[in-house]
Amino acid sequence: MNESTPFPCLELHDVQVHFGKGRDSFHAIDETRLSMREGEFVSLIGHSGCGKSTLLNVFAGFIQPSHGHASLLGQPIRSPGPDRMMVFQNHSLLPWMSVRANVDMAAKAVFPGLPKTERRVLVAEQLEQVGLTAAADKLPGQISGGMKQRAGIARALITRPRVLLMDEPFGALDALTRGKLQDALLEIWEKNRITVVMVTHDVDEALLLSDRVVMMNNGPAATIGEILDIDLPRPRNRVDTVNHPLYYRYRNHLTGFLRAHRKTGPDPRNSMKSPDTLTLGFVPLSDAAPLLMARELGIFEEFGLKVELSREPSWRTVSKGVMSGRLDAAMMLAPTPLRHNLNPATTPELEFTASMVLSRNGNGITLHKKLMQLGVTDRESFAAFVKRLPPNRKPTLGVVFNASMHNLMLRDWLVNAGLDPEHDVKILVIPPPQLLANLEFGNILGFCAGEPWNSMAVQQGIGFVPATSLTHWSGHPEKVLGYLRSKADAAPETYEKLTAALLQATAYCDNPQNRIRLVETLSRRDAVNVPASVFRDSLFDRFDNGIDEAKPAPGFHAFPVGKAARPDPTAFHKILGELVHWNCCPAPADSADALARALDHATFDRAVSSRVSMPDLTEINPAETELECLHEA
Amino acid sequence: MATSSSSPKPLLRIWRYTTQRMLPPVVVIFLFLLIWQILCSRESAHLPTPTAVVSDTLELILNPFYNHGGNDVGMGWQIWASLKRVALGYSLAVVVGVSLGILIGISTWAMRGLDPIFQVLRTVPPLAWLPISLAGFQDNNPSAIFVIFITAIWPILINTSVGVLNIPSDYQNVSKVLRLNHWTYFSKIMLPAAAPYIFTGLRIGIGLSWLGIVAAEMLIGGVGIGFFIWDAWNSSLISDIVLALIYVGIVGYILDRIVATIGDRVAQATSA
Repeated sequence: MNESTPFPCLELHDVQVHFGKGRDSFHAIDETRLSMREGEFVSLIGHSGCGKSTLLNVFAGFIQPSHGHASLLGQPIRSPGPDRMMVFQNHSLLPWMSVRANVDMAAKAVFPGLPKTERRVLVAEQLEQVGLTAAADKLPGQISGGMKQRAGIARALITRPRVLLMDEPFGALDALTRGKLQDALLEIWEKNRITVVMVTHDVDEALLLSDRVVMMNNGPAATIGEILDIDLPRPRNRVDTVNHPLYYRYRNHLTGFLRAHRKTGPDPRNSMKSPDTLTLGFVPLSDAAPLLMARELGIFEEFGLKVELSREPSWRTVSKGVMSGRLDAAMMLAPTPLRHNLNPATTPELEFTASMVLSRNGNGITLHKKLMQLGVTDRESFAAFVKRLPPNRKPTLGVVFNASMHNLMLRDWLVNAGLDPEHDVKILVIPPPQLLANLEFGNILGFCAGEPWNSMAVQQGIGFVPATSLTHWSGHPEKVLGYLRSKADAAPETYEKLTAALLQATAYCDNPQNRIRLVETLSRRDAVNVPASVFRDSLFDRFDNGIDEAKPAPGFHAFPVGKAARPDPTAFHKILGELVHWNCCPAPADSADALARALDHATFDRAVSSRVSMPDLTEINPAETELECLHEA
Repeated sequence: MATSSSSPKPLLRIWRYTTQRMLPPVVVIFLFLLIWQILCSRESAHLPTPTAVVSDTLELILNPFYNHGGNDVGMGWQIWASLKRVALGYSLAVVVGVSLGILIGISTWAMRGLDPIFQVLRTVPPLAWLPISLAGFQDNNPSAIFVIFITAIWPILINTSVGVLNIPSDYQNVSKVLRLNHWTYFSKIMLPAAAPYIFTGLRIGIGLSWLGIVAAEMLIGGVGIGFFIWDAWNSSLISDIVLALIYVGIVGYILDRIVATIGDRVAQATSA
């Protein structure tokens, strides 16, 4: 397109945004002006809560400015429309439709007159462009996070939008996938040259892709602080761009701006500090990492919280501690709040609720090594072994708690093996730290538990692991942040800040670059208290099952980032169904109500909304700080 | 050759299955019947023994589909009559409940207007509706169907509205950006997203309908398993009552399983 004759494609005219009315109103964006050329790639960057997503939503038409207006090619933007397609952070594909059907739905909605055969060709071409031809007929649940985001991009591009709006499109992906997708997006953009507005946290992502980077001041009443023209040659690729002499000058400029606008001075919202210290319970396991890292990195303090962690010997003491008020909140097993609330003995004041998912996956089924000599390597051979036993010698297996994913996973595995969990085996509840000793002395033949106990069993030569979360239900919610709902109702601000702090901690934990630091912290005496070498595979997306050698296991421990940490009603609905199926709790009269009571979406949504100050991740990333220091020196 | 070497295994499996799965219920039922038999064999007992039940009702058991005219028809026909009423009342409840549930879910105005009324009406016990519906319809059969309808509709309605209210905002944003027409939004997004919730309501609803029909038929008379029980009581045919209770339980269980199975299938297809 003729870029030499710039005419405004997207414009903001003195836009102001206020949320709410009266005393509670919040001034999100102050007078902001911006003008973009057709075919320009612009990134919005700034600390969380600076209103960059709000601006994007103004472009999209989801938010109407309180003053001023936004326009596309001179026409005021009044509502969302397909000329400004959005790529959502969490992809937002419809899970009941194949990738192809998702893309096709967009094409059909935007080109209603197009004959079916032509539309089919169009969809196929678009899927090929994003490299999804092979996965076109899979459901979103069957493909990886990176592929889902590709599908989201394909769905946006098929409508041939004037403007592509991207809200932290790669924010929820791991670093490797993020890099691949940035390259893919760069290639697609170089081909199509459409106007793009992208919100991002990531300085390097902004530099690689953008023509201009818009830096936003901190909210409330955020404005554009500075605009940086990125005069790097096009077409770009990662290696040439990073090695360009101007790259680190730009980079230092951006990080310098972000550091200068780091939250200083007390945030007015943090001044309403609760007088006493919060006590948080954790059970020594690998996925206690978000709590331990939040303490380690001082994240709780950044949110104006004083938090003490309490190391708990079992899940039973966690539940009792939260009920008695000894613990203000705790890392809980995902099914615990649901089952606890459905217990007829639980009064409304003692009901649990969970605001966020702290971790996904990470479980495994470990069997005693001696079974391997008897030819057991998987569930089928285990079933055959059990059926050979005389009826009076039922094998005993351990789980860590009744209301646990481990219990549900073990039962499901047994059923799939053709065994009856109620009759063919005996299932005992044993606290996690005691599992290994029980296995070693032959009190149990196997167990289903979280890390590091499966890896420990393998490394000590006591057991082997025929199944993990990844083979069972990949991405299942594993641990949640649970507390008494009555307490959160009394002090909503505190629990909102606690959730926001732990959201930052999960994002830190999920970043592969930080995993070494996780190992250091987890192995300490006041944490899990096991040798650091135990984590050598599982925290680095590999897993050694003790049957053959260690293999890649991407997402073996997943700490959900941003909106991915919102407790998903669909997954918890499934958990509820399984709990009822296995008689772990009575069937609720109204399952929707049971879910609503056990999942504190209100607190989560407030924690992620722009109203809570969320210091930028780059500030606590040691690898990156080191890099910056190097370049400043 | 292959069959001869592998044949002991299936046999063994059948033997295991029989001893481990079939044996416990058979033993328990046998013990239960035995205790019942002993307790009711005394002179002073008011209830028949199991053997008496079987001998008294042998004709009913062996010939479920006889028709001697009037109320005097076989158990099969009695249950069939009740099932027809339930089918009609429940289908009406599904159609109206799902439609109203969707309306409440999408319209804040409708929700504010209708919710208080529904919250009060849903606590009214099913049978309390019978007199007013008899007064309104002036006829037994529509009244019974109405009672089923009004019993089953609340869980369906409330679960549907919750399902619609819980459609993730991301999906709504997708539909806004694409400017999907109402029909596409309804069929491609709203129904699949709310389906697991709707089926939870349907399952509770079918259970309640079956609870309601027996009670309602006791009062309205005519052919139907409920009136059969009442009639048996009036004629002091206690054995017939016992037999009817067994049939009622089995049919209720089957209805529940049918809806639960469909619901599980749908939930699997709409969650990924």
